[in-house]
Order: sequence, then structure tokens, then C-alpha cells
Amino acid sequence: MHTCKVPPLPKLRLYRINTGSCNGCDVELAATEAITRFGLDRLGLSFTADPTQADLVLITGPLTVSSREKVLAEYAEVPDPKITVLIGVCPISGGAFRDSYAVVAPLDEFVPVDLNIPGCPPRPQAIVAGIAKAVQLWRGGEHPPVSPGPEEGSLTENLRGRMRYRAEACVGCRICQHVCAGGAIRFDEEEAGLGFTLWHNSCLFCGMCSHYCPTGALAPTREWDLAHRQAEKYRQVEKGVVPRIPCSACGVPMLPVVPELMKKGYRALSAETARLQTLCSECRQVRSLEGVKRCTT
Amino acid sequence: MSRTVITLGPRQLGLEEPMYFRVQTAGDRVAGLEVLAGQVHRGLEHLTLKRNFYQNITLLERLCSLCSNSHPSTFCTALEELAGMVVPPRAEYLRAVADEIKRIASHLFNCAVVAHIVGEHALFRRVMELRETVQQTKEAIYGNRMDLAANCIGGVRYDLDAGRVGYLKSQLEGLKAPLEELYRVFADDPALAAATVGVGVLTREQAQAFGVVGPVARAAGIDYDVREKSPYGAYDRLSFQVAVQAAGDVRARALVRLVEARQAVSLIEQCLDQLPEGPVALMSFPEIPAGEVIAKSEAPRGELIYYLRTDGTDLPVRLKWRVPSYPNWAALGEMLKGEPVSRIPLIVNSIDPCISCTDR
Repeated sequence: MHTCKVPPLPKLRLYRINTGSCNGCDVELAATEAITRFGLDRLGLSFTADPTQADLVLITGPLTVSSREKVLAEYAEVPDPKITVLIGVCPISGGAFRDSYAVVAPLDEFVPVDLNIPGCPPRPQAIVAGIAKAVQLWRGGEHPPVSPGPEEGSLTENLRGRMRYRAEACVGCRICQHVCAGGAIRFDEEEAGLGFTLWHNSCLFCGMCSHYCPTGALAPTREWDLAHRQAEKYRQVEKGVVPRIPCSACGVPMLPVVPELMKKGYRALSAETARLQTLCSECRQVRSLEGVKRCTT
Repeated sequence: MSRTVITLGPRQLGLEEPMYFRVQTAGDRVAGLEVLAGQVHRGLEHLTLKRNFYQNITLLERLCSLCSNSHPSTFCTALEELAGMVVPPRAEYLRAVADEIKRIASHLFNCAVVAHIVGEHALFRRVMELRETVQQTKEAIYGNRMDLAANCIGGVRYDLDAGRVGYLKSQLEGLKAPLEELYRVFADDPALAAATVGVGVLTREQAQAFGVVGPVARAAGIDYDVREKSPYGAYDRLSFQVAVQAAGDVRARALVRLVEARQAVSLIEQCLDQLPEGPVALMSFPEIPAGEVIAKSEAPRGELIYYLRTDGTDLPVRLKWRVPSYPNWAALGEMLKGEPVSRIPLIVNSIDPCISCTDR
């Protein structure tokens, strides 16, 4: 008779709470649950409709003023110890709905959070990879996380994952900050130059910043597995500094003029445009006017 | 006969979103209904006034993620109308492609939910599997399975090269037979028919009185679809027949959605075949003058109306919506009257209510 030496691990139960979401994360959770190849089963997990039976709580949406009382009561029904997982940037930071009178996100101001799965919404593979990390937390790290399974039939060439910033292509125009609905982008005047920060936990992964960036300094990567422990929440950033260089004529510190911008500004690049590139805007005006004078006299 | 009042929440109703009902019962029948709205109120009207037009495109896509392309495309249409911009023809077609692919996914999700509620779990999984084809297609073309980020002021932010057109066509081809089969199941399966025929009826007269829209109206015999009545974008160059049913019951609503999913496949194919050459968007930062405008479209749940007022800055002065679920859930009281309490989840889901649109 075949005997199993290692007893199977007890099945963990997941309970879902929607705090007022746009239903994107919820619909993706429903797909994650229904489609077996995403591999929730392989992690030894099942969903329960009874909060008192749950081990892991999955929370979606920005906590709204009107749902707050119900949500916190529902959360309290899940017995301790429990692992709390936030899905999508809404419960993590408020996402697109920050600064509204009707929203009281982030959720970690109300309940202890263990794990964050950013995205808007995160794809099922990202949800499963995140939940695998949560299972690892629950089981004390003794069991390695199970991979979320193969990506059958999906093309990820265009995937909008974590944004990447290249300071060497940035001209500091700040259009990315202007069009960012999540308020994820910040510029700071630093000693070393112009500082850029993008917080992935507030990013809506919409790609508006890269769409409007005139020089391609911002672009989405295909990195989608962004789940992290709560302690890492504020370290999920993309940073860069554009160093200031002295103007070759007057020595005033200025942001370098990147080749991408020169190609947009001039029909053809020449020794003259290369010289203009090293000048601050005022010296460039003077130099250009000299050129005009030469032409008209 | 005992009369009581019970409160039902998302767990009892089988909804993805928090929505609560106060139901008056007479015996085991529904005698009256009050919708307790507001759980998903995120202050969207207030937020849109604090965000510029560009931020609002992304914010509005998150007003509701099941009709997430209808919101930004209708908003952009409103802005373009104010600015007097003529969107390039290629962009009009690409907008229609994005709208229709979202319609297929939205309608299939609702069919899956209806199957789940009537206890047809194998069918539920089958519909969800079929929907995965659409989800994968959206991710491959647009980069996300729910929020396509397809729109910008003056056009769209994506293009289809020959390779992507070929990919999209082959994905659509794979949907055709399963969608036909699914229609037959919802039309003919005896178990499904027993659960859905004559259930949650809204007559044509009631439908008109409540001003319901979308599949709920068309299932009650009302021949109204914005794409056909007042065509926008590329729809005046595309052909389709408005899906109408007469019975006004749960099955009729499901059948309208399945016909529309099949039509959406054909509409995308027509777009791909007619796709004109040219740019996909006009200039990046148009000046939006002061003014007011109304734009509308046929979202998966019905007629979606945008009202926008501007003052020449890049922040809206007023932005207001009439979303399709609003008139539709008002008519729920009629559909539920006299029905057994146990049928409430099915009937509520048969109107495919979008709470995040309505509570916003």
C-alpha cells in the first residue's frame, strides 16, 4: 500500500472584500478563480463566502466613506491570525481616487496589511504570484512559492508593466507629471540636479506619461510581478536625477539638451546645432539672433 | 400571509460589487424593493473637476472597468466636439474596435454570472474560458486585460500593423463557433429555459415608462441602439442589425447580449477590412475653448450620456453622466414584483447592473 509520509498541507481559504472598486480587480479575481490554468488550485487555495472560515483576506478598491463601517466589520469577522493582501493600487494608495471627500484610502491606515499587489488591475498571473507570496508568509517561509504556471497563448509584447525612466533622455518638461492621473510622478530640485520619482503603488499603468513624453525618457516595461511585503511599500519607486551642466557661454547651470529633443527641434543637425546644444536658453537666444543679423545684413 | 422586510447584500445577491436592497416580502414573494445605493461612491464628479483633461481620460476609464473604453472615448468625443476637431478616419475605426472588443468581454462576463446563479457551473466555466480569449486579445493588443488606454484627445493611442490585424482576425475567428453554440445553449437548453423563461419580465410598456436602455430595453422589444439611431465615429460606415427580443425576461436579455457579442465580432472584422490609412491621432495638446457639449454612445449596458462644460482652461467646470444602469435598476422593482425571493439574485444580475458607474 502506498503511504504518504508528508501529510498534505491544509487547504487555505481566501475571502474577498470589495471596498468600492471600479470592479476591474474583482472581475480579474473572478477570472483567476474560474480559470484553472492560472494555478490557484496548485497553491492549495480555495475561496470561501464565509469570513469566519478564512485565512487570507483579499481586498480590492479604494475604501469609500460609505462602505467603511461595513468593510471594517466584515474584516473583523475573519479570525486572527490572518494574512491581508491588497489587490490593485486603490487599497494601497487610493490610486486614481486619491484626494476625494468620499474616499478614505489607503487601507493600511485602518487594518494591518501584509502584502501589496500593485496594478490597475494586476493581471491574473500577477494576482496568483502575489497570493503565492502571501501563502509563503502564512506558512512561515518553509515552503517555496509555487510558480503561477505557464502563460498559455498570451502575448506580452505590449504589456504595460512597471514604468522605466531614463534620466539621460529627460529634458525636465514635466508633461508626464501633468498627465499622470495617479499623482505618481514627482520632480524635486536636488543638489545634483532635477530629481524624478515615480511611485509604482500609485501608478495606474495607463502609459499616458510615456505617450506624451517628447523624448522617450519614460516607457512601460513588461515587468508585471510587482507584489511586495508591506514594509517595502514606499520603496517601490523609479528614481533618477538629471544632472545640471554649466552653459558653455555664461556658466549658468542648465539641464542638458538631449539629442532626442535636438532631432525634434532642427531639420538637420550640424556643428552649429551642436554648439547651440551646449548653451542655456538665454545664450541660445543671443546666439540665434546673431545668426539672424548675419543673414539680414 | 406574513409580510417582512429583509436586507440583501452583495453576498446574497451574487454581485461582484457592493449593492444592497431592502426587500418587502409577502410570503416568499417580493412585494416591494428599495435600492440602498452609494457604497461605491468615490466622489467622481468632484474628482474630475480637480483633474485636467488628460488626467481625466485615465480617471474616467476607471469610473467602471467593464465599460472602461466607453467612458474615455465618449469624453474625448465631447472634447473634440468643443475644439472643433475632426478625428482622423483611422482613429474612428480603431475606437470602434476597442469599444466592440470590450462589449464582447462585458456581455460574456454577464452570461457567465447568469449561468453561475442558475447553478450551471460547467457552463459558467465554459463562458469564462471563452472570455479568456477576449482578455488575452486585449492584453496582447492594448497591454492590459481591462483598461485599454486606447483613447487620447484627437484620436487613439494605438495602431494595428498587418501582424496585429492578422492576430486579431484569427482570435475573432476562434470566437465565432463558440458564440453561436452559446446562443443555442441559452436559447434551447431545457434546464436554462426553466430557470430563465418568463422570469423577471419587463413589458414593452413598462420598459418605455422607465426609459430603460441597452440590452434591457432591446429584450423588451424596444428597437433602440445609439450606434444605429445616432451613429458616432465609424458606426455610420458599419452594418449591423439592432438585436431585439420580445419576451422581456431573463432569457431575452441574455440572448440580446449573445447576439450583440456575435455582432461585435462582425463589427470588428468590418473595421479591419475597411481600416483606412492615415494618422491615428491629431496634434497632442489642442486648445479646448469655453463651451458646453453633450456626447453619447452605446456602452455595453446601453446609452451613455456625457455632459461637459469648459471655461477655456484645461480643467472641466462641470462633468456629468447619465449612465445606463441608472434607469435600468429603477425598473428592477417591476421585474421583481411577485417573483419568489430566491430569484432576486438572478433577476438583479439579468440587468447587468454597473454599480461603480451608477454610484461613482
